[in-house]
Amino acid sequence: MMRVPTSERVLAYVILIVMAILVIAPVLAGSITAFKPQIIWVSSPPTWIFEPTLENFEFVFFTRKGWVYLRNSLIISVGSVAIALLLGVPAAYAFARFRFRSSKALMQWLISLRMIPPIVVGLPFYAMFLYLERGLGIGLRDTFPGLIITYQTFLLPLVIWMMRGYFAELPAAMEESAMVEGYTRLGALWRVVLPVVWPGIVATAILNFIFAWNEFFLALILAGNRTSTLPMTAGTYIVRTRVEWGNLFAVNLIIMVPVILLTIALRRQLVKGLTFGILE
Amino acid sequence: MKVVLQDLVKRFANSDRAAVNKINLVIEEGELAVLLGPSGCGKTTTLRMIAGLEQPDSGRITIAERDITDLAPKDRRVAMVFQNFSMYPTMNVYDNIAFPLHAVKMKRGEIDRTVREVAALVNIDHLLGRSVRQVSGGEAQRVALARAMVRRPEVFLMDEPLSNLDAKLRVQLRTEIKRLHQDTGTTFIFVTHDQEEAMTLGDKIIVMNNGDIQQVGSPHEVFFAPKNAFVANFVGTPSMNMLPGAVSGDNGGGYRLQLPGFELSLPARFHDGLARMAGKGVIWGIRPEAIRLVAEAGENTVSGEVELVEALGSRDLIFVRAAEQLFGVIVDAQESVAVGAPCHLHFAGGQMHLFDAESERSLLNDCG
Repeated sequence: MMRVPTSERVLAYVILIVMAILVIAPVLAGSITAFKPQIIWVSSPPTWIFEPTLENFEFVFFTRKGWVYLRNSLIISVGSVAIALLLGVPAAYAFARFRFRSSKALMQWLISLRMIPPIVVGLPFYAMFLYLERGLGIGLRDTFPGLIITYQTFLLPLVIWMMRGYFAELPAAMEESAMVEGYTRLGALWRVVLPVVWPGIVATAILNFIFAWNEFFLALILAGNRTSTLPMTAGTYIVRTRVEWGNLFAVNLIIMVPVILLTIALRRQLVKGLTFGILE
Repeated sequence: MKVVLQDLVKRFANSDRAAVNKINLVIEEGELAVLLGPSGCGKTTTLRMIAGLEQPDSGRITIAERDITDLAPKDRRVAMVFQNFSMYPTMNVYDNIAFPLHAVKMKRGEIDRTVREVAALVNIDHLLGRSVRQVSGGEAQRVALARAMVRRPEVFLMDEPLSNLDAKLRVQLRTEIKRLHQDTGTTFIFVTHDQEEAMTLGDKIIVMNNGDIQQVGSPHEVFFAPKNAFVANFVGTPSMNMLPGAVSGDNGGGYRLQLPGFELSLPARFHDGLARMAGKGVIWGIRPEAIRLVAEAGENTVSGEVELVEALGSRDLIFVRAAEQLFGVIVDAQESVAVGAPCHLHFAGGQMHLFDAESERSLLNDCG
């Protein structure tokens, strides 16, 4: 290890601490509000010493049906990540291993999809769903399949780009060896390649889950009463006359906690996956 | 098993030149054949077509009279060892060796017995429980060898399996591959760009360049009787000395060769070839080992000065500037000379090579 001078180390810590405070302080202050009784949500100056209560959580979770939205968010996020992996992992493998017509242009087109603002995707999808409903009687508006399909527009490119990187790192001889040793290409992919890129798949799944879980705008346009997600309902606590701070932050915590827990639980795979090929 | 390649052609989409250009080749049962050539010569593509990892555009491949051209790699009963891949990283040594056996649904007891047997054969039976991180590069390549052997293939294919190893290990494993070949009696096809490796390993050497087979022969044949200038130049380290020249008849019915700055008389064995070459240019060649330092100038000698000395161990490679040309000469270390010393080089007629400058074919085997 290289020795870093103490002065530089101190400076690095100071900068890191300041940055951490800037990022964490508002979240922390808000999260504290989630446990405050309604009467002191907006007291000025803020009250820091109080008896914590779960009444905000009770309100958003039961009275305002938060558990339903949590369930919706889970169905949509898990469903769309699963579909994105199912389609994206084999696609990424094909992009990494085979040269086919305009494969390069296709990859660039895929990354360009990530640059499109959600409203550009959301409105045409809304119109499309409307036509499908009226013309063919296929109802996708305000349904889980409808949202899961729509989410592929931003999840699938990310899955393909990330996974292609992992596959490209591996020598083609790895599958070829398995193919000579008695397996089909799919067999080789399943038994030899996927176990090696597993940390990459986990990292890709987590990142995509976070994107899907936090998605707000497409859901706002395409989801309805039956499929509202947690981020959408957070918006309902900001009404014309006031902001229900305690309830809003209670919902926020419900949104954040699963992501944080997931990241902590799988952090080793995540780091391994995100630094694939960089660290040995 | 006997391997026959018939009119094999392979083109890649991004190149207008054929990677393998209608080659024909017979490798006899139990032979250790080496495909030798510079990178891009088509040797690896040829091997990959035998393995089924590339599909030929035309031509047939048969193993023991069985046409395998359109079979999947897994159905060809071949095994392959690769240059840049040795062990499946998620499996330990034991599971690596067992992996090909799972494909044929072998019983566990039988798998266990086979794995231990084969591991012992390549001296890795003490490493069976180790993971990929706990074995060295040489050991990993032995695992690849074991994995190749475990299914008792009809043909072993090896794509530069030793190139990524350090020099000492390379020589050691080379010997073991040779021993393995002798013990199993199976047909081996070995690809390398290293001509020394090809010489030491091969029963038969197939020299390739630009997608064509240049020469097929024993190590001695390709070394002592190269069919063309490419083989002469590629085989042998240090390389053969080669110069362009012109031939003219002398009074006694023999031939003399004009080279830049000096001339030589040519031995009788070239006469037949030269009779058909009237007025055409030739390439003259002689190996560094065939040049002698002599005390006095005379017939077929040229005088010059030592410019550089490289020690090779028991022998030295010296570079002599003579008649404005640079000659590489191998001499005994004891007889070596100092830089700047004057010397006379003698070229023995029996060890000269002559090639048609146009076709680059040897004048000795003009018929072949």
